[in-house]
Amino acid sequence: MANDIAIVGYAQSPSWRETDLTEPQFLFPVISEAIERAGVERREIGFTCAGSCDYLSGQTFAFVMNLEAVGAWPPISESHVEMDGAWALYEAWVRLQHGDIDTALVFGSGKSSPGRPSEIYPLQMDPYTLTPLGADPVSLAALQARALLDAGRITEREMAEIAARSRKRAIGNPYAQVTGDDDPDSLLKEPYVTAPLRRHDLPPISDGACAVVLATADKAKALSNRPVWIRGIDHRIDIHQPGMRDLTESPSTRLAGKNAGVRNAKVDVAELSATFSYQEKLLCEELGLGDDVDVNPSGGALAANPVMAVGLARFAEAARQIAEHGKGRAVAHATSGQCLQQNLVAVLEGD
Amino acid sequence: MTDAKQDDAKQDEAVDPNAPVVGMDYFMQLEYQEQLCPVVREFADALMEKRLIGHKCPRCGLVYTPPRGYCPICTVQTTKADEIELTTRGIVTNYTVVTPVQYYGQEATEPFAKVSLQLDGGGNLSLQDMPNVPVGQVHPGMRVEVIWAPDAERNVDDITNRSWGSAEGAIRGWKPTGEPDAPIDEYSDKGF
Repeated sequence: MANDIAIVGYAQSPSWRETDLTEPQFLFPVISEAIERAGVERREIGFTCAGSCDYLSGQTFAFVMNLEAVGAWPPISESHVEMDGAWALYEAWVRLQHGDIDTALVFGSGKSSPGRPSEIYPLQMDPYTLTPLGADPVSLAALQARALLDAGRITEREMAEIAARSRKRAIGNPYAQVTGDDDPDSLLKEPYVTAPLRRHDLPPISDGACAVVLATADKAKALSNRPVWIRGIDHRIDIHQPGMRDLTESPSTRLAGKNAGVRNAKVDVAELSATFSYQEKLLCEELGLGDDVDVNPSGGALAANPVMAVGLARFAEAARQIAEHGKGRAVAHATSGQCLQQNLVAVLEGD
Repeated sequence: MTDAKQDDAKQDEAVDPNAPVVGMDYFMQLEYQEQLCPVVREFADALMEKRLIGHKCPRCGLVYTPPRGYCPICTVQTTKADEIELTTRGIVTNYTVVTPVQYYGQEATEPFAKVSLQLDGGGNLSLQDMPNVPVGQVHPGMRVEVIWAPDAERNVDDITNRSWGSAEGAIRGWKPTGEPDAPIDEYSDKGF
């Protein structure tokens, strides 16, 4: 059995289409706020783990600069994953299992605005057959959406309804970038960007950051009246080559959800990294989340998509539902790769 | 003919359709466009007026140039209120001699030195040039002063958020003042 670990602090930057601040500059207040909310002394933090992507930043070792926002002198114990901050949280959760330290700082950050995502992302694909094709996330997502439409698993109208609901829920979210009260019928009149996807089915291009502070059980109880417990967490990966997958399924989400214990009790709220509209329905099916679950009250990734922070932001938003809105049990989900290739699922609970 | 062109010519001549594929070329280029952040914008504007500015940490007093908007040692943010004007004279604290390897895109052919400086009164610059000093004569402890680019040529086009004080369009480099060397033991832990 794993030791109980709790989220005791979290903070986010706004999601911007383009900020003129550098990544360390906009990380700086986010990390400080998360630490302050946790009530922990910066020097007490036993481990720090970051998630970011040098390809997004356009500079080798850009992640080292981000440490300037942490305060790394005198030297600290830290690590980095070239992944969404949700995987940095997983590494910190594992590190805290050792029991020799009691707090960890996790953050994720990304600045997508300087580059061209449609040119950068193909470089993460198989370099022989997919990169030379320019296989970008929108094209690959369109293939997955088409597979689901052809299988009768979703309709374009359902996709528009998901997008409209996300934008509406995001109106109250100060960190959101795409908000509005849109009618699905009028959204459906828009042209395709890449058929069958319309603009509303796509995530925005965003700059932004998120930070979370974790603590072991005794420390969490000492620090917080409302610790948010990580009751289960798991991540799984499907095969890379999309041509070798059934794109109408996400077995890695299903398995991670089972191992995290999603179905063990009623879920009140879920924050899912559905970066394309149709993915929300697929994720709900694979996780067994019914109509009674409040999905993406923040507006989700369709409202704010700071790549490398968007998955960790699901943890912050799910924790907020428990700590600030009195919800009992929440699911947080992060994804990586194309077409929901790799998925991380966690179950969070209040006391 | 370059080696690369010879390889191309060989490939063109000998294409055996039954030979297994053992490798492939894939040339890629990524373009990034980033606005200057406000504090580096102010640094660049000052350079156009032949001024060097920095931010002085209100807690520890360390001077950062170009300004970063924070002190990473104290983890406090710095603002316009912490801006100070720096001198344009200093001491070479360290240097690196770069011997160019002729990889694709390398324009330099002869060895050159990049120096780190500590300015009199505070502030450090790295990746600076000493255009009029033979590479073998560059050494820590040298007292130097700035060589501004002429008014008509001065520009800050090459400054980015990641320039670390390298500003070749505005600062041509640094020249020895002719004064005796500074006692380098006092400075050897100040540069990198």
